[in-house]
Amino acid sequence: MKYICTICGYIYDEAKEGRTFKGLPDSWVCPVCGAAKNAFKADENSKPLSGAEASGAAAEAGSDLEADKKNTDNAFSETMAHAGNGAEEEFDEDMKKLSAGELAALCSNLARGCEKQYMAREAALFKEIADYFSTTAPAVPETDIEHLAALFKKDLESGYPELFNEADSALDRGTKRICVWGEKVTNIQSTLLARWEREGDAFLKNAEVWVCSVCGFIYVGNTPPEICPVCKVPSWKFDKIERRYPA
Amino acid sequence: MKKAAFRNLRLCTKDCLCLYVCPTGATDTEDSIIDVSKCIGCGDCAAACPSGAISMLSTELPPQQKKAENVISYARKLTKNKADEEQIASAISGMVINDGMYRLMTALAKSARLVNEDIMRESGYMLPQSKNTKELLEDLLNDPPAAGFPVDAAKELLRLIKFNE
Repeated sequence: MKYICTICGYIYDEAKEGRTFKGLPDSWVCPVCGAAKNAFKADENSKPLSGAEASGAAAEAGSDLEADKKNTDNAFSETMAHAGNGAEEEFDEDMKKLSAGELAALCSNLARGCEKQYMAREAALFKEIADYFSTTAPAVPETDIEHLAALFKKDLESGYPELFNEADSALDRGTKRICVWGEKVTNIQSTLLARWEREGDAFLKNAEVWVCSVCGFIYVGNTPPEICPVCKVPSWKFDKIERRYPA
Repeated sequence: MKKAAFRNLRLCTKDCLCLYVCPTGATDTEDSIIDVSKCIGCGDCAAACPSGAISMLSTELPPQQKKAENVISYARKLTKNKADEEQIASAISGMVINDGMYRLMTALAKSARLVNEDIMRESGYMLPQSKNTKELLEDLLNDPPAAGFPVDAAKELLRLIKFNE
């Protein structure tokens, strides 16, 4: 039986690994992109591992994944039904008004746009306005890991599925593209936070943290991946996060 | 549509064949950025470059793609969350002592910003030259969010950018 990583496409082949996917510990992550075990889906076309015990375990794992998928599908359709009914009331004027944090991202996006067109002065000016909004944004009331994890969860459960669905009916390819990348990046963000809560800083101590400067994918390891597993740009597009207290 | 040559400095290996073939000397600049005012758009440099570092690009930018109102509304829900995620991660990174936690939170803040920029780009702010950008700058000038807002930066942008809509 084979299992495919839904983030980067890596294939876990039980026959080659000599170990059932189900038998892997919960702390196991994708060796290519660091995605959690539950980001893998069973490859419908592959054969279970030979040997009664192994195949039993694999089938069980497969049904678990199926059940997970069904739950997600149900949650998804409930969200859709909700979105369909209440779309009008849901977006009041306050919602449409951009917060300081959003304006910061909007202006730093325009700064990047200027940079690409060799408009250095304009880029610096948009950056100045973006930095103004970053520093003046009112503090979020709950600045803790639990709250952060809850926001990631919300994006994955409703934020991205809703936007993707809406973009699909509006035939908006650009928005669908950023949903695909953004959802994968958010999945990795969420996984890293869960790993921190489970393992503490053990997985970060002797490793570097890298961020893809194009899509935001985060990689933990000594060297960045040859190509970004999410947006496929080469390794030199990755930025290293410097240590707080340089040795 | 009028075209002009642009050099990708990442690919340029300084073979300088573009200097030989350019009829106007537009490629002969100290900073390697092709002089658009001299370029006549003939494409000889792009064809001669052994590194494929020169592309012929349209000098006119397309108008901003119209976005469906509901797409924007759902995008706003995400951009609000992403902004909060960045702020929380950034606030935690400013408080922690542990180096692993500091780097993880710094990475999360940076990543949340990048993802947010992408959503913004796709919700009507692709080009600095668009009407949406112009209106945003005008709104900020007419009704500055607070006393410290960099009014001069917004004014200079409105003056410098050649808006295309």
